[in-house]
Amino acid sequence: MSYQRLLNAPATALQTWRRSVPVLLFAAMLAACSATPDAERSDLRDPLENTNRNIFAFNMGVDSYVLEPVAKGYKSTVPDGGRRAIDNHLEWASMPSTALNSTLQGEFENAALATIHFAINGLTLGFADLTETPGAVDKRSFDQTLARANVPDGHYLMVPVLGPHSSRNLLGRVVDTVTNPLSMIHAGNVGSAVRTAQIPAGAVAFRANNFAAINDVKYNSIDPYARTRSLYFQSRAGKPGSDQDKNKTPSPADDQFDAFFDETIQ
Amino acid sequence: MMVQNTTEFSTGQITAGPLTAAQHKLSVFAGLGAKFRTLMAAVIMLGFTSTASTAGTSQIDAANNLVTQMMVEVESILAQDINNEAKRTEKVSALFDRYFDLPTIAKFSAGPYWRAADAAEKATYEAVIRDVIIGTVVRNFDQLSGLRFTISGSQAKGKKLVLVNGTFASLDAQQPPIAVGWRVVISDKASPLILDVEIENISMLVTQKQENIAIIRQNQGQFAALIDAMKQRIQP
Repeated sequence: MSYQRLLNAPATALQTWRRSVPVLLFAAMLAACSATPDAERSDLRDPLENTNRNIFAFNMGVDSYVLEPVAKGYKSTVPDGGRRAIDNHLEWASMPSTALNSTLQGEFENAALATIHFAINGLTLGFADLTETPGAVDKRSFDQTLARANVPDGHYLMVPVLGPHSSRNLLGRVVDTVTNPLSMIHAGNVGSAVRTAQIPAGAVAFRANNFAAINDVKYNSIDPYARTRSLYFQSRAGKPGSDQDKNKTPSPADDQFDAFFDETIQ
Repeated sequence: MMVQNTTEFSTGQITAGPLTAAQHKLSVFAGLGAKFRTLMAAVIMLGFTSTASTAGTSQIDAANNLVTQMMVEVESILAQDINNEAKRTEKVSALFDRYFDLPTIAKFSAGPYWRAADAAEKATYEAVIRDVIIGTVVRNFDQLSGLRFTISGSQAKGKKLVLVNGTFASLDAQQPPIAVGWRVVISDKASPLILDVEIENISMLVTQKQENIAIIRQNQGQFAALIDAMKQRIQP
């Protein structure tokens, strides 16, 4: 037995190494990041701006050569019903994470709703919404769980292929992927293929659903990187666990307008 | 500072006048019972309260009317089904000039760099940001087709702004409604005008401001660099 294990050892090590390559590459890349001096930053929340801008340029290249044409084809060839079915499936696949994180956040009603929706729509693998209350479940992530535990947002990161994240947002995303009960169910090759297809399908569906808006940022902004960053930060404000949500304060936009008019009056 | 002082002064005068009259009225009923006097005082005070809230409500109503009226014009332009971009730009420009507060938009979107800019730069920037915004609206105008805007509620945001909230819902109910808020600048001296539009809690003007500041900071604080970048963008 130990002899057999010894024989298999190189193969196992190779597999582990292969799995680790992307993680190691990303870690090496982050290690190579040097903080952008305050004076050179266009936004103080973005200490890695120079590196982030390079990654953004790479992501725009990926978008131009892969994502945008695929999303365009997806929009023009797949009928509305088919696209809605894929959106439903992706939403359904996130329900276990929502149930788990709702429980951690003490939102037991939402957790129960997510579980019920997952169970009922599981009959069609989530492609059809069989419930009477579509959209009743509030999506919850580990990022929000961390936010509710007062874990700070961290640095703004432009992640290769995945796009804008904060450090906490990225960590939450990794944890959500690893702890999703769906990833632990062994359903043979078909199940594995479906799970593998969910990531690119999600990217294409997102790009197709926001096709005009993303293209407007990409082709018509004066600084697409700065605009993307602004949209990212604003879209996070007000989400569960954010300062705005916890303190029940007006949106950051309100703060900016208040400050502007106070200054103008003075 | 001067504006604030003037406002406080005039408010004080208005309040002082009716209160004196009210006290005079109360003295007329001095010979009547205490309960009756209390009741009369309550009625008079209620009158003041409702007058004050009506003033707030009228400004909110004015903001609601402005947005409603603008949406009627938007629907009218959409109904004309204009395919010619120059003609559509002309229509949208007229709409923008009538309903939007360009000087405040320019000032807000330039951030702290507005103060450092000279008069010529300010004037050029105002003209350029107008063209940038109109260009954005013209490009995305068709997306409003098949949608209906409904006001869901409005609220005063400080002394100068009213946020008119509503939703754009698709007429065929195939898409989920989109939450939209219009920030309307209110003033005692001028008609209300729109300052900002917020889509799903994302302020378009704040986005523009942060993008502008990023460009200026990347160019060692030169306001002229922003104007140049904008001019390049709007070139056909």
